[in-house]
Amino acid sequence: MKINYRQTCILIFLSQIALKFLALPSLLYTKSESNSIFVALALMILDGVYAFFILNMAEISGEKNIYEFLKSCLGTVVSKIFLALLLIKFALSMANISKGLEFFVVDNLYNELSWFAYILPLAALIGYMIYKGIRNIARVGEIVCWFVLVGIIFITAKSFANAEPESFLPLFKDGLKPLMESGFKYSSWFGSSTFLLMLFGKVDFKNKKKSQLIRYLLLAILLVQFVYYVFYGVFQITSPTHNFCLSDLSQFSSLHTSIEELSWLVVALWIVAQAVQLALYGYCFQQALKYIFNIKNNVWPTLVVMLYVFTLSVVGDLTIGLEQIFLSPAVSVITICTQYILPIIVIVAGKIRYKNKKPPKQAEQHSLVEDSTKPAHEKKGA
Amino acid sequence: MKIKAEKVEEQIKAKLHESSDIKSRAVKFFGCNVIIMYIADITDNKLLNDTVIYPITSYTRRVAGDKYAALRDKVLSSIELNELDIDGATDKLLHGHTLVIVDDAPKILTADMEKITVRAIAEPPNNLVIKGPREGFNESLKYNLALIRRRVKSDDLVIKNLELGKLTKTQISVLYFDSVADKKIVSEIVDKLNKIDIDGVVDSHYLISYLQKNPHSLFKQVGDTEKPDILLGKMLEGRIGILVDGTPIALTLPFIIIEDLQNSDDYYGQPIHVALVRILRLVGVVIAVLLPGIYIALEIYHYKIIPLSFLVTIMNTTQGIPFSPFVEVIFVILLFEILYEANLRMPQYLGIATSIVGALILGETAVNAGLVSPPTVMIVALSGITFYIIPSQAGQFSVLRALACLVGACLGIYGILLFCVYILAYLSSFDSYNSAYLAPTAPYIARDQKDFMMRATIDEMTNRPRSIANNRNNLRRRGK
Repeated sequence: MKINYRQTCILIFLSQIALKFLALPSLLYTKSESNSIFVALALMILDGVYAFFILNMAEISGEKNIYEFLKSCLGTVVSKIFLALLLIKFALSMANISKGLEFFVVDNLYNELSWFAYILPLAALIGYMIYKGIRNIARVGEIVCWFVLVGIIFITAKSFANAEPESFLPLFKDGLKPLMESGFKYSSWFGSSTFLLMLFGKVDFKNKKKSQLIRYLLLAILLVQFVYYVFYGVFQITSPTHNFCLSDLSQFSSLHTSIEELSWLVVALWIVAQAVQLALYGYCFQQALKYIFNIKNNVWPTLVVMLYVFTLSVVGDLTIGLEQIFLSPAVSVITICTQYILPIIVIVAGKIRYKNKKPPKQAEQHSLVEDSTKPAHEKKGA
Repeated sequence: MKIKAEKVEEQIKAKLHESSDIKSRAVKFFGCNVIIMYIADITDNKLLNDTVIYPITSYTRRVAGDKYAALRDKVLSSIELNELDIDGATDKLLHGHTLVIVDDAPKILTADMEKITVRAIAEPPNNLVIKGPREGFNESLKYNLALIRRRVKSDDLVIKNLELGKLTKTQISVLYFDSVADKKIVSEIVDKLNKIDIDGVVDSHYLISYLQKNPHSLFKQVGDTEKPDILLGKMLEGRIGILVDGTPIALTLPFIIIEDLQNSDDYYGQPIHVALVRILRLVGVVIAVLLPGIYIALEIYHYKIIPLSFLVTIMNTTQGIPFSPFVEVIFVILLFEILYEANLRMPQYLGIATSIVGALILGETAVNAGLVSPPTVMIVALSGITFYIIPSQAGQFSVLRALACLVGACLGIYGILLFCVYILAYLSSFDSYNSAYLAPTAPYIARDQKDFMMRATIDEMTNRPRSIANNRNNLRRRGK
């Protein structure tokens, strides 16, 4: 089952914003202060560039999935090593999202909620979506993304008047070094285009519009910049103490209206985006497992993903434990390697292997399931 | 092989277990025995007398030679006749045909004399419109087909007749536009219908479980309508209609969820007003399904979210209520559902009394007795009323509302959000005959947004929707 180009762009959009409104703004501030806004900008642009190249390579690869593609370029053993590294990356991303979600749900949204009540329905939902495949995840993402977008803008706009632009000045007073360090240390929160590698052979490039990808990338970047601007502008030097950007912003507003508290409900909408994102990374995790161990059916890898999501919540003191793992230099090296070096190798190897091959023209492509709604004559290009 | 009229009569009667309503009348036609057989209750007696019995008995011209040929070609030439063997003739007899059995004839003559007694064509109660056609289907397939034929003067309309039900032998018609409908889907539907092994088809809903892809799903997968203009509108978009004799409800396939948010009125009104109404319907659905669940969740887990003044009101009114919010809401929902069921099946004059007793006396008394709080009654009543914004989906909304209440009570807002995502994921996963169930939202189909929440003017909707798997002829009309 394939997804169309627009759905891919929406998944990129959701992936770009997924981890950015949790603890990241406050964490970035500890290293690079209000200039963190530029760290986020630079790394998101980098992710956008990667998205372009990876999608281009996915288009060239045609019907090949990532494993077949890598095997044709680098051989079986190297391919499996690559996939194992990607598996680690997706596992880390899932842990990061799950940790943030649990922090928000269990500690912020409820006075007390057992981890059991939190994780069981979530694991079941993720399992269901993964089992149903990427088309299912993409369609859900397509519906929820606009609600999430409007919700985030609503929350942030309420505090916009309180943001003080002077707090950002002077720019780069300690030079670029803290920004580089910050980018390196918190790289796990970026790399939102890596999942595209697992969508090789699963995207319908018919009706592709490059402007669509640019639009969604721009939208994600502008949204994140807007939220960060308001967040740093409002909280300034107290930013490191505000661990959950969106909920803290929603509580801080000079507007005292009777609907103010309802912004909490809007924040809760963000849970939906996180669930979709978790399902997306879960899907990538499942696919990597299938390719590495040559598993044909969906059941066992899905169960493994569900078990992993479940375990994330069970193991020890999750919040502190995982935080330390994510901030360790070893994890930063692994994430930089998987997010930025692996895709380059894939792209370069692909360019060499398929150097004369151009993306197939629309008429040559196979009919695609997601556009099953199109009339048969349009599918066949007749 | 020549037949003997009396013998054939006996054979047919024996085949039909000597049923009392089978009548036969023997007449002589120039010395030849002729037996006329018919089923009294479904035969038009006047037509029978005028076109069969009277011409035979009063024929005065001399007939030499073959009497059977004379009857067929001269005496009964004014009516359409079939020549059949005993099995075929018996079958026709059951369909209201009259049999003319002539001694020493090679076949039996049959003529359609069916008397159709039907309800008058009236406006269906479920599809009321302010503007637009008010005709509705009735229980006669012939009449219903006539309502369609009257509107379509094109050779493009195809009507395929089938017979289903081993005992009822119900007539079924599959309708579509040859140049619009996807032929693969047509043959898939016809194949499915032909494979149905059932003793009787009492209503078109009997066919639904055979036609839908997920028979155990809560969600509706086959469209239905009681109005010819709606059926025609859907067929023009590429859908296939199914009419069943004995029921006014026509089925349509493929079905996508947005269909029930649309109403035939929408196409006869102003686009801006239509957009507003459609948004209201969508909001109504959300209120109907989620409001009681959200109320429970807020009261149990997230009372901090409720604005203070409203919270104080709620606390004042819920003080002393012996039940938890969940039990309280479920109690009121049950009360509401019982009243609804009772109201639906009672005679109309009693129904009004029940409404007054239910809504005013029971509700008021329950609140005064301290069993339920006023906000709960208000919330459930609001949810209950909004159900009927889309009456055809009320059943599934009711189940979803109960689930949302349960999830809200167990997991709060988090649970309700996950519940919504689960429903979306579930609905995203199935297609109805190559049409995505959530189209044109997921997948997003830009062209079809002209008839989604906002409706473009008729002249702007130049193409058939891509959400529906129609085959060819995509251009509907030229724009202005």
